[in-house]
Amino acid sequence: MAKSSSIGIDMAIQDFGTVMDRKQQTGAMAGDKPGRAARETIYVGCAVVAIVAFAVTFTDPFIVTLAGYTCAFALFALSINIILGGVGEVPLGQCLFFGVGAYGAAIGMGKVGLPFELAVLIALVLSVALAAAIGVITLRLTGAYFSIVSWGLTGVAMVAAANLEEITGGPLGLFGFPPIEIGPLQLSDPQTYFAVTATILLLAILFLVALRRSPFGAAMDSVRQNPHLARSVGVDVARVRLKAFMLSAPFAALAGALAVPYTQIVTPEVFSVANTVDGLLMVLLGGAQLVVGPVIGAAMFTLIPQAMNLDPNVRILVFSSIIILIMMFAPGGLHQLGVALRDRLGRKTDDDRSR
Amino acid sequence: MELLAQTLVNGLVLGAGYAVIAVGLTLIFGIVGIANFAHGAFFAMGGYACYLLTSQGLNYFVAVPLSVLIVVVIGAVTEWIVIRRSLYGDSHHGSLIVTFALGQAAVAGLILIFGPDPLPVTSPLGQTTMRFLGIFVASQRAFIFVCSVLVLGALGLWLRLSIKGQQVVAVAQNARGALYSGIDVPWIRALAFVLGVAAAGLAGALLAPISTIYPTMGYSALIVGFTVVILGGMGSIPGAMLGALLIGVANALFETFVSVSWTPALGWGLVIATLLFRPQGLLGQVQQHRH
Repeated sequence: MAKSSSIGIDMAIQDFGTVMDRKQQTGAMAGDKPGRAARETIYVGCAVVAIVAFAVTFTDPFIVTLAGYTCAFALFALSINIILGGVGEVPLGQCLFFGVGAYGAAIGMGKVGLPFELAVLIALVLSVALAAAIGVITLRLTGAYFSIVSWGLTGVAMVAAANLEEITGGPLGLFGFPPIEIGPLQLSDPQTYFAVTATILLLAILFLVALRRSPFGAAMDSVRQNPHLARSVGVDVARVRLKAFMLSAPFAALAGALAVPYTQIVTPEVFSVANTVDGLLMVLLGGAQLVVGPVIGAAMFTLIPQAMNLDPNVRILVFSSIIILIMMFAPGGLHQLGVALRDRLGRKTDDDRSR
Repeated sequence: MELLAQTLVNGLVLGAGYAVIAVGLTLIFGIVGIANFAHGAFFAMGGYACYLLTSQGLNYFVAVPLSVLIVVVIGAVTEWIVIRRSLYGDSHHGSLIVTFALGQAAVAGLILIFGPDPLPVTSPLGQTTMRFLGIFVASQRAFIFVCSVLVLGALGLWLRLSIKGQQVVAVAQNARGALYSGIDVPWIRALAFVLGVAAAGLAGALLAPISTIYPTMGYSALIVGFTVVILGGMGSIPGAMLGALLIGVANALFETFVSVSWTPALGWGLVIATLLFRPQGLLGQVQQHRH
C-alpha cells in the first residue's frame, strides 16, 4: 500500500516528462506476479459464465429484471466511485447525469422518435458537456464547493424538468415508450435486459481496471492521496479532477438510460439526491478502493431490502446510519473491518489515510 | 411602485430569516471546516420541538427559546458522538458524507415519529398584520425580522467583545496558531458547531407558524443556506448576511414579477454567476485548499 502511493508519484513524475524504466514500473504495478493475464482472463470467464448461468437458471421475470436494474445501478455506483475512490471528492450531484441519461433516452425515443442507441449516445455527449461546465466552475475550488454546487444543480434540474412540460412531460413525467431495443436485442424481454446490462457492466469494470493501471489512474491516485505533493511533482491537479469528472458522467448517464426499461417511466424524481445516496452507500459498502467494490455493494444493497421488505423511511434511516458507522469505523469499505480486526493497533496504510 | 416597495420589504424580511440559517452554516464551515449537510435537519428539529412544546399548551414565545435549547442538546450530542470522529478521522470528505447521511437519517426519523403530514404551530401573533406606510407585514414575519436582527447583532457583539468569541475568531483565522497560543481548539469547534445548529433550530422555530412544519422542511432551508453562504463567501459572517439579503430580495422580486415555479432555481443561478466572476464569494477570502 505504501508502495502503491510511491508508484502514484513515480507515475506522476513520468507524466511530468521524466522517462522511467517502463519495465520496472509495470513490474511494480503488477506486484511481480506471473500469470496475471491468465488469472484475469479466468476472472472474466467466470463472470461471463455467472451471467449466462444466472440468465438460464432464474426464469422469474421479476427477479431477472431486478437483477438487470441492479446491474444498471451498479454502473451508476461505479461512476460515483470514479470520483470518490479516484480523486477523493464527493459527487453529490451525480444523479444529475443519471437523470440526463434517463430523460435523454425517454425524450429521444418518445418525443423525437430516435432509436434507443442514438438517443442514449446524444445523452452521453450531453452529460460530458455538462460535467465539463460544472467541473470548470467548481473543481478549482475546495471539495466542499464541488459537492455543494453539483448537489444544488440537481435541484435546478428537477425544477426544470417539472416546468418544461412540452419537453419533459412536467411533474407527471414521460411514459408509454415504444418497445426498447438495441439492434436486434429486445430490452423488454427480462433475460435479454439482464444480459445486456450485465455485459455492459462487465465491460465498464474492465475499462476501469485498465484505467487504474494507466498513467492517468496513477495521476488520480496521487491527486487523491496528496494534492499538494502531486502538484509539486507536476501533476495538474485541477485538470486531473476535471478529466475524472467528465469521464464519470457518461457512466452515470448510461446507467440512467439502462434503468428506463425497468422503471418504464421517467419523472423529475430521477434527479432526486436519494439516487446519489443509494449509489454512495453501494460504494461505501463495497469499498471505494476496490474496482468491483461498488458492484458488490449494489448487490448487497438490492438483496437486503428485498429480503427484509422495509418501509422506505426505515430503510433510509437504517442505511444512513450504516453510512455514518462505515465512515466512522471503516472508511475504506467493509472489508477494512477484517483488516482492522487483524491488526487492531497496526498503523494505517497510506491508502487508508487518504480515504 | 406600491407593489415594488411591498416586494422589497417582503424580501428583506425573508432575507433576515435566511441570514440566521446561513450564519449558522458559515460559522460551522469557517471554524469546524465542514460543509454541514445536516443543517436542514436541525432546522426541522427546531420546528418540531416548537410544535411539541406548543401542543403541550406552552406559550409560543416561551417555546421558541426552549426549542433552541433542545436543538442545542441534540447538536452537542451529535458533535460528541459523530462529528468529532468523522472530522478528526483521516479523511476530508468523511465529514461531508457523514453530515449528509445524518441529515437523511434525521428526516427519516422525523417522518417515522411524527408522520409525513404537515403539522400546524400556532403563534399568538396569529394571522394579524401590521401596516406601515401603506406596506403590510404579517406580525409573525415582523417578529422573525426583529428576532433575527437581535440574534445576529448579539452574535456579532459576542464574537467581538468576549474572550470566547475572540477565541472563535482566532480559530477561524488560523486553527494551528490558535492551538499554539493555548486555545482549546476542539472545544471551540464543538462550541461553533452547537452554535451553528442552534441558529438553524432557532430559524426553524421562528418560521414554523408561517410555513407549518413537515419533515422535509429542512431541505429548502439547506438549499437556501448553501446558496447564501456561497454567494457571500464561505466562512464569512458579514458575507452570509449580505448574501441572505440579496437572495431574499432577489427571490421576492423574481416570485412577484417573473415566475413562482422557477424560483427554486434562481439561487443556484446566482451562485453559478458568482463563482464564474468571484470564486471566493462576495466577501469571502480566497480559499486555500484546506484539505
